Amino acid sequence: MSHHERVQEELEALEAILMDDISISYNEIGCAELVKSTIFPSTANEVEKQYVCVTLEVKLPENYPDCKPVVKLKSPRGLDDSTIDHLYREINKKCDEFLGQPVIFELIDLIRENLTESNLPTCQCAVCLYGFSEGDSFTKTQCFHYFHNYCLANHLIITSKHFNEEQDKLPAWKRSPEGFRATCPVCRELINCDVDELKTAMPPKDLENAQKFEVTHELKLLQQEMQQLFNYQKSRGGIIDIEAEENKLLLITNSNEDSAADNSGDPGTSLSNTISSSSVSDGVQNRNQRHYSNYSSHR
Amino acid sequence: MAALPRRIIKETQRLMQEPVPGISAVPDDSNARYFHVIVTGPEDSPFEGGLFKLELFLPEDYPMSAPKVRFITKIYHPNIDRLGRICLDILKDKWSPALQIRTVLLSIQALLSAPNPDDPLANDVAELWKVNESEAIRNAKEWTRRYAMDN
Repeated sequence: MSHHERVQEELEALEAILMDDISISYNEIGCAELVKSTIFPSTANEVEKQYVCVTLEVKLPENYPDCKPVVKLKSPRGLDDSTIDHLYREINKKCDEFLGQPVIFELIDLIRENLTESNLPTCQCAVCLYGFSEGDSFTKTQCFHYFHNYCLANHLIITSKHFNEEQDKLPAWKRSPEGFRATCPVCRELINCDVDELKTAMPPKDLENAQKFEVTHELKLLQQEMQQLFNYQKSRGGIIDIEAEENKLLLITNSNEDSAADNSGDPGTSLSNTISSSSVSDGVQNRNQRHYSNYSSHR
Repeated sequence: MAALPRRIIKETQRLMQEPVPGISAVPDDSNARYFHVIVTGPEDSPFEGGLFKLELFLPEDYPMSAPKVRFITKIYHPNIDRLGRICLDILKDKWSPALQIRTVLLSIQALLSAPNPDDPLANDVAELWKVNESEAIRNAKEWTRRYAMDN
């Protein structure tokens, strides 16, 4: 049997087993080149309980299966780097073991088994940057990103509040007819979730156990370097003098207001606006408080 | 002052352990929400060779709200005004809690490589950038040389 026929036989078997879950691309002379399949853990078809997945890409060299295929794992979801590295090592072993024989189904089976064993996301929650522990309640979005329910609830409560505040500023005809729509913090896809339920969740366990912050010696040295650069640039007139610039701004703003009084719809960067919005930094006892009040006035 | 959220601690530790090339961010002695930042001017940009000081502040509800960031070193750029304020969507309505201090600073560094005079914050700079780009770039280089050098 030729290489071509042997590969054809293997692929037909794969298609019979996996049906739509596999895609095969052929080159211009009709030889299979690339086999792709997205693999999920076995959860008795309960899609809701599949927390991880990865796409397997197998490139078939001309002499396959007498030489090893080139295997890549793409679009991992819920899997951290060490899990992926582990998978690659297992894949390599399997390819060595099956040299000369069909290996693609073996690879799919191997990956599926691994995913099933660790069907708990090993990545971090993108909101709190801590992992998922046994007992944490978390959400897998339709786009396969993971958040502690506690963290996602906080995100949704604040973004919907911001959204509504912005809407209230708009004239009625400009407001969004759909109202607030939740989006994934990672990829901005629309997501469906029930905030009232999410917010009943306890804070993540890792978060509770995390260590405290300490100023290290290394940090002290970095702080000193920063200070030296600041002093040097200041001596050369390179540091922005907020007060002087604000005074200039005040003059410009005043003359603008005289000539364009009808432009009251958008106050722009006027000083009165700057002052009224300084409440943003209330409660923050910081020597730079005055600087920060400036940000909020610009859109 | 309330305890520092764990996420801020984690970000700070990672900034120390795995610093981003061309960017350093160090928390202040007296306020761990206030960061002293240095961004190096990107290669092949008019800001090449410059070390730009910025300040970054994490508000009370960070990471639900964006950090406040401002240039401290003078810079000639159409999207940065005379007060050092930066026009960048992810610092405003496109903020997401999945962004971090490091990604924000990388975006600011990228803004130095790709000035956008069509969405100006510093009107006079943007105007010159549009009508006479080579002169604007000359100015940016001159400001970098004059204000943003290290000893």
